[in-house]
Amino acid sequence: MARKTLRLFATLGAASAVLLAAAGPAGAAGETIGGCVLEQVHHAEEEYGSLGAVEADEKAFKDFEADLEGCVEAPSPILPELDEIIWGGLAFVILFGFMWRWGFPAVKRAMDARSEKIRSDLDAADAAKTDALRTKSDYEAQLAEAKTAAAAIIDDARAQADQLRQDLQARAEADIAEQRARAAADIESSRRQAIDDLRNDVAAIAVGAAERVVGASLDAGVHRSLIDGYIDEVAAGTSAGNGDGS
Amino acid sequence: MSVFALEFPPVSHLFDWPTIWFDGTPLAINKTVLIYLAATAATMVLFGLAGRTRESLVPVGVQHVAESGVNFIENSVVMQTIGPDGKKFMPFLTSMFFFILFSNITEVVPFIQFPANSRMAVPITLALLVWVVYNVVGVKSQGVFGYLKNSLFPPGVPWVLYVIVTPIELVSTFVVRPFSLAIRLWANMVAGHLLLVTFAILTATLWEFFYVPAALPFVMLILMTAFEILVSFLQAFIFTILTAVYIGGSMHPEH
Repeated sequence: MARKTLRLFATLGAASAVLLAAAGPAGAAGETIGGCVLEQVHHAEEEYGSLGAVEADEKAFKDFEADLEGCVEAPSPILPELDEIIWGGLAFVILFGFMWRWGFPAVKRAMDARSEKIRSDLDAADAAKTDALRTKSDYEAQLAEAKTAAAAIIDDARAQADQLRQDLQARAEADIAEQRARAAADIESSRRQAIDDLRNDVAAIAVGAAERVVGASLDAGVHRSLIDGYIDEVAAGTSAGNGDGS
Repeated sequence: MSVFALEFPPVSHLFDWPTIWFDGTPLAINKTVLIYLAATAATMVLFGLAGRTRESLVPVGVQHVAESGVNFIENSVVMQTIGPDGKKFMPFLTSMFFFILFSNITEVVPFIQFPANSRMAVPITLALLVWVVYNVVGVKSQGVFGYLKNSLFPPGVPWVLYVIVTPIELVSTFVVRPFSLAIRLWANMVAGHLLLVTFAILTATLWEFFYVPAALPFVMLILMTAFEILVSFLQAFIFTILTAVYIGGSMHPEH
């Protein structure tokens, strides 16, 4: 169909070119007054034989004269020629018929199809944009959820770490307190042991010294109570003197 | 005809072309007729090629020319004067625009150099056709009585003034319109053709004697050729838009 249509229009185009080519040279004839006069002379010679015969015939001469004057007298240019009205009218009617039936609807159809295609492309682009926006909002929502979850995890970890730190600190403090109590008990025990040992040693030394001084043996029980009482006084005096018990 | 020593051909020889075929018959063919036929063929070729279905998103070549023409007629003529109702006249107005345009533009086509609408035949034929169309449209839209009433007694005019207005409207709407339409187109093309011929003859004559002064009319000839291209478009547009105005007035008397 397309090839046939192309052939048709190529033919019309060629016809149009031929018409225009013919129209150019068509203007050459009768364009000048001289050409017109020459044509009238030839016409008179053909009709009457010679110009002399025209001059001899009064009526022929007047006609010839009128024809020659016609070469310089312009017919009213505003009056249309019948042949041009017929051809011009026919040409427009043919053109209008073609345009009404084929030419205009075909061009309009092509324009409408293009508009429709552009409109559908725009709709598709709008739909794609909406999809993209929806995907973006989904992604952003997921991102926000992930951020929230991460923050919760971090908070939880931080709380657990705090708890662990507090537990460890409490345990360490308990251990330290226990060790300190144990050390204090050990120190107290050692101190008591030392005091007992010292007391025994001092008692023995004092008894021995007293025996040598007085030369007599004292009752061991009495000695013992005297010494203990002395040591207690000394111990009490030492403790009061140091203040902090060291 | 000698004017200031210039051999100027008589006006009839600038517009009245000899017959080429069928001399002496009502179907005689001369240069003017050939241009009419060529204008028809050119418009048919233009729209025939443009109407072929194509997938291109951007129209190019003849398709672009035809679609621009259609858009121009629709947006600048029909929608401005008639409205959406006038779209049914698009084929008629488009045919008219391109037919007149191609018949005018031959004025500046080398070796043709004659605007076919400088002959009265097509302007008066188209103008009478327009007269028939807008009157038929008016009668169909408003009825015979309504159309005559709205045409001869325009609403909003004080009734005393109808004594003056009605005869004017009668002559204007039903008598003068087709002739003013035809004469406007015809006279513009005649004047343009005469101007081009005048400057062409002046250039040719001066060129035989003095080269330098011939430059002036030659420049004018070039400028006038460009101007006549504009006039060709403009006159086609004016004829078409006035046709649309007349049709719109018949369809919508309130406007």
